[in-house]
Amino acid sequence: MAEIVFAAGAPHAPGLIGLLEAAPADVKDVVTTTYRNLTEAIAAAKADVLIVFANDHLANSRVRAYPDFLIGMAAEHRGPYEWFKPWIGCEDYTVKGSPEIAAALFDGMTRRGIRMFAQNENLKFDDNISVPVLLTNIAGTGIPMVPVLQNCTVPPIPDQHRCYAVGKALGDFIRNDLPATMRVALLGSGGLSHEPGGARYYFIDEVFDRWFLDLVASGDHEKLLKELTLEKMEAAGSGGTAELLAWVVVLGAIGPKPGKSFGYTVHKDFKCGVGAVLWDMNANLPKQRAVA
Amino acid sequence: MGLEKFNPSLATHDLIQDLKWSPALREEFATSEAKVLDRYPLRKDERHAIETRNFLALYDMGLHPYLGGQFARLIFGNEAGKGATIAVNKLVESLQGKGSVA
Repeated sequence: MAEIVFAAGAPHAPGLIGLLEAAPADVKDVVTTTYRNLTEAIAAAKADVLIVFANDHLANSRVRAYPDFLIGMAAEHRGPYEWFKPWIGCEDYTVKGSPEIAAALFDGMTRRGIRMFAQNENLKFDDNISVPVLLTNIAGTGIPMVPVLQNCTVPPIPDQHRCYAVGKALGDFIRNDLPATMRVALLGSGGLSHEPGGARYYFIDEVFDRWFLDLVASGDHEKLLKELTLEKMEAAGSGGTAELLAWVVVLGAIGPKPGKSFGYTVHKDFKCGVGAVLWDMNANLPKQRAVA
Repeated sequence: MGLEKFNPSLATHDLIQDLKWSPALREEFATSEAKVLDRYPLRKDERHAIETRNFLALYDMGLHPYLGGQFARLIFGNEAGKGATIAVNKLVESLQGKGSVA
């Protein structure tokens, strides 16, 4: 039985790279502390593969032919895509891929009734993959990555229940299809509240963000699935906040576990609330009823 | 203003995606915008909204806001803290009631 040895959710706002230097000291402190902890945790987990779920942001497909989940099967993942470079303000990177695990994921999810799409060519990455890859030094660790870009913004959007079900199937795939000794890391990339392209572009819903971080760290998945509705996420920032559904996929895979955050910060120039959660994969919540 | 007006058939979506995906098309758009627009099946009011940089009107027609944000960066600038900030401010100005920000 393969094992999930690392699971986290973290934001990918482009300003975390391009605008970090100009940010106030207290903001910088939360960002650097957060990603330093995640970097150390990924390295300590000694994972054989990192599977990242992240909002596609309409980067790879037209709106009339938009997959809910798109697996990157390339042997090498290069980014960021050309047009996004000045916007993120980051260097080029190359991360090792895993065509075999990507193919197994595609096959395994298909067998479990989860429609995913898969592409051999390098996917177009923007901040969704670039920010976590660079801030957690994935290229430096040498851990192979399988990116899965998901639809968090093109209606009809797979809601929290669907994403959790996808996560449960993902967990089953990892535990039953992958080699017995394999160690798997999972990252949900996205959030927190933001409204990219909207009239409230500079709006950050601090109340929602703190509520969300506390909830996902509590391990109460029943409450999560009941309350983290598309409507609630849209109210907290239309077209952006719902990318927290990438975290929900990860939560579905690991089941109820407690987690810890490394602080929360708001900075107008980031146009996005910032906070992450690392879940304790060694913990059990015996009083927590598993979500059906 | 959210996704409730989203119209996936709006041709502007294809224009924006193509501009993102093709440096050559971006160059042509910058120098010969009308020639580029001629190649897309834009409604008359849709084309007028593009020409006058009226994001509010485009959103009312069903442009996806995320692509609207990218369209603003394609037009006004895409560099972190510089052109991208101008683009955001122009977009917000349009969406909050000004309409045309040409």
